[in-house]
Amino acid sequence: MVRSQPLDPALDPALDPAQRQASLQGTIAPFAGFGLGLRREHHNDFLAPAAAIPVDFVEVISENFMVEGGRSLRVLEAVRERLPVIVHGVSMSIGSAAGLDRTYLGALKALVDRIEPLWVSDHLCWTRTSAHNSHDLLPLPLTAEALDVVCDNIDRAQETLGRAMLFENPSSYLTFPEDEMAEWEFLGEMVRRTGCFLLLDVNNIFVSSQNHGFDPSDYLAGLPLSEVRQIHLAGHEPATGERPIIIDTHDRPVIDAVWALYRKAMAMIEQPVATMIERDENIPPLPELLAELERARAGMHSANAPQPA
Amino acid sequence: MSAANPLAERQQAFMRAIQEEGAPLPAGWGNSQAAGLRIYRGNYRHALMGVLAHGFERTAAYVGAEAFHQVSINHAIAHPPSHWTIDSAANGFAETCAGFFRENPEVAELAWLEGAMLDLVGAPDCEPLDAARFAEASAGFGDAEWMELTLTMMPRAAALIVGHDLERLWRSIDGGGEIDLAPARLGCIAWREGDRPTFVMVEEQCALAFAAMGQGASYGDLVVQIAGEGADEAALGEAAMRAGSFLGQWLQHALVSAIGREASPGNGDGQEPND
Repeated sequence: MVRSQPLDPALDPALDPAQRQASLQGTIAPFAGFGLGLRREHHNDFLAPAAAIPVDFVEVISENFMVEGGRSLRVLEAVRERLPVIVHGVSMSIGSAAGLDRTYLGALKALVDRIEPLWVSDHLCWTRTSAHNSHDLLPLPLTAEALDVVCDNIDRAQETLGRAMLFENPSSYLTFPEDEMAEWEFLGEMVRRTGCFLLLDVNNIFVSSQNHGFDPSDYLAGLPLSEVRQIHLAGHEPATGERPIIIDTHDRPVIDAVWALYRKAMAMIEQPVATMIERDENIPPLPELLAELERARAGMHSANAPQPA
Repeated sequence: MSAANPLAERQQAFMRAIQEEGAPLPAGWGNSQAAGLRIYRGNYRHALMGVLAHGFERTAAYVGAEAFHQVSINHAIAHPPSHWTIDSAANGFAETCAGFFRENPEVAELAWLEGAMLDLVGAPDCEPLDAARFAEASAGFGDAEWMELTLTMMPRAAALIVGHDLERLWRSIDGGGEIDLAPARLGCIAWREGDRPTFVMVEEQCALAFAAMGQGASYGDLVVQIAGEGADEAALGEAAMRAGSFLGQWLQHALVSAIGREASPGNGDGQEPND
C-alpha cells in the first residue's frame, strides 16, 4: 500500500518515535492523577458551588459535546474551569478503510480548541464504512494492510488536531483468520510509526485475553509502556454457560483479577500516568465511584512500594 | 474479494453481517467468528434501540412496549445509521411510525415532536428578541420597511401541521391517566427555551406562516400568502392584522432571534440582522 505523502516533518516515518513526538505540536507530557468519566448523572455534583470532588481530572465522551450549543457544553466549560479535562472519542474510526470523516474531525477540532483538554484519545477500532456507522467499536484484522490504514488515519487526525493523540487498546469478541501479528505488536508498531501515545485499558486486556486465550503478561511485556499516558479501569459482564465470551460493558465494579493486572501494569510503567474508572451503564451515586477510585490510588501505591530484595 | 481495497470490502461485509441477520459471513469466517459477531450484532441493535427508547419516551408509552420494540426494529433495519452522531439514528423515525401505525396518525405526529425536541438539545445558543427590543428596532418602520421585514427564528425551531392537539396528548401521557386524543387541525412549533426544548400548539395558519418566514419569506410575502393572490385592499388589511397577530405570538413565545430586510434593489444585500 502506498502511504500518503506526509505534510509535516513531524509525520515523517523515517524519524524515530522520540523525534516524531518532539516535533508534533502538543507532545504529551506525563500527567499523574486519578479521575472519573463525567457523566450526566453527576453533572450537578460537579457543578455544586462548594464541590471539592477528590479527582485530578475528568474524562468526557467527545461526541456528546461535539454540538453547537446547549446545557452540556456549558456544564463542560464550567467543569473545565476547575479541572483538567480529557476528551475521549468513540467515533473517529481510526481503522476505517474508508478514511476519516472530515466533518467529524472539524467538529472535534472545534471542541478541542474550545476546551483545551489535557489530551485527546480514541480507540484502535473502526466504526464506519463509506455508507454506514456501527456505533460500536469493531475489531481490526491484525495485518500489515490494516496497520497502514490505521497509521495513515492517525497521521491525518494528529495533523488536523495539531497535537499527538492517545489510542486505546480495544476489547474484542473475535479474531480474524488473516491475523499476522499479536495485538501488542500492532500497537507497538502503530506508536512507532505515528508518534501517538497509548491509553491502556487494563480491563480490555483482561477481556480479550479471556476471549482469545493469551497471557495478559505477554501483552503488557510486548507494549511500549513508556508511551502510556492513561489507564482505564472498568467492569465487564462475565461469560456464561451459553455464551463463553466476556463482554466489556462498563456497567459494574472492576473485578479483583483486573485490579491485580492493574497493579502489575503500574509496577512495570515507570512514568506518571492518569488512571480513571469508566462507568457508562448502571451509573451509581458519585461516592460509590470515588470509593472505587480510592482503590486505584491504593493499588498504584502498593505497586510502586519498595519490594524486598 | 477485489485486490483494490480488501480491507474496505471486508469491513463492508462485516457491517452487513451486523445489520442483517441473514447476511453471509465474511469470507473465511468460522464458528468462533460467528459467535463473536453475535455480540457485535447485539451491541449494534442495543445502541440503536437505546437511542429510540431514550428519545421517544412518550411515543413508547403511548403505543406500548411491544409495538415500540417492533417499530424500532423496523426503523433500525430501514434506516441504518450513516452519521457519527448516534442521535442521527433517530432521523426519519416519525416517517417509520407513519408507515407502521397507519391507522393512528397521531403516533407519527408525537414521534415528529419528540424527534424535533431531541434535535433541539444541541442547537446553537441564541438570545431571543423580546417584544420591547423588537418595538425599538422597528420603531421607525414605514410601510415599505414592514413589507421587507424578515425574521431569523430561534435555531432549529421547527413547525408541523398536525391532526391532533399534541399538548393535550403529551400531558395525558405524562399524567398516566386516560389518554386525551382530541382531533384538531393545528400547528405545532418546537424550539428551545433557554436549555429546555419546548413546544406550543397554534393555529394551522400561524405554523405555516412561521415555517415560511423561517425559510426567508418577508412579512409582505406573509400578508399576501394569508390574503390570497389577487386579494383586494380590505382583504390585505385584514391579512396584515393576522400577520401582526402571528408575529406577536412568536415574540411572546421568544421564537424570534433577529430581524432583517428582504434583499431588493433598493436596500443592498438584505438579510442584515439589526439585533
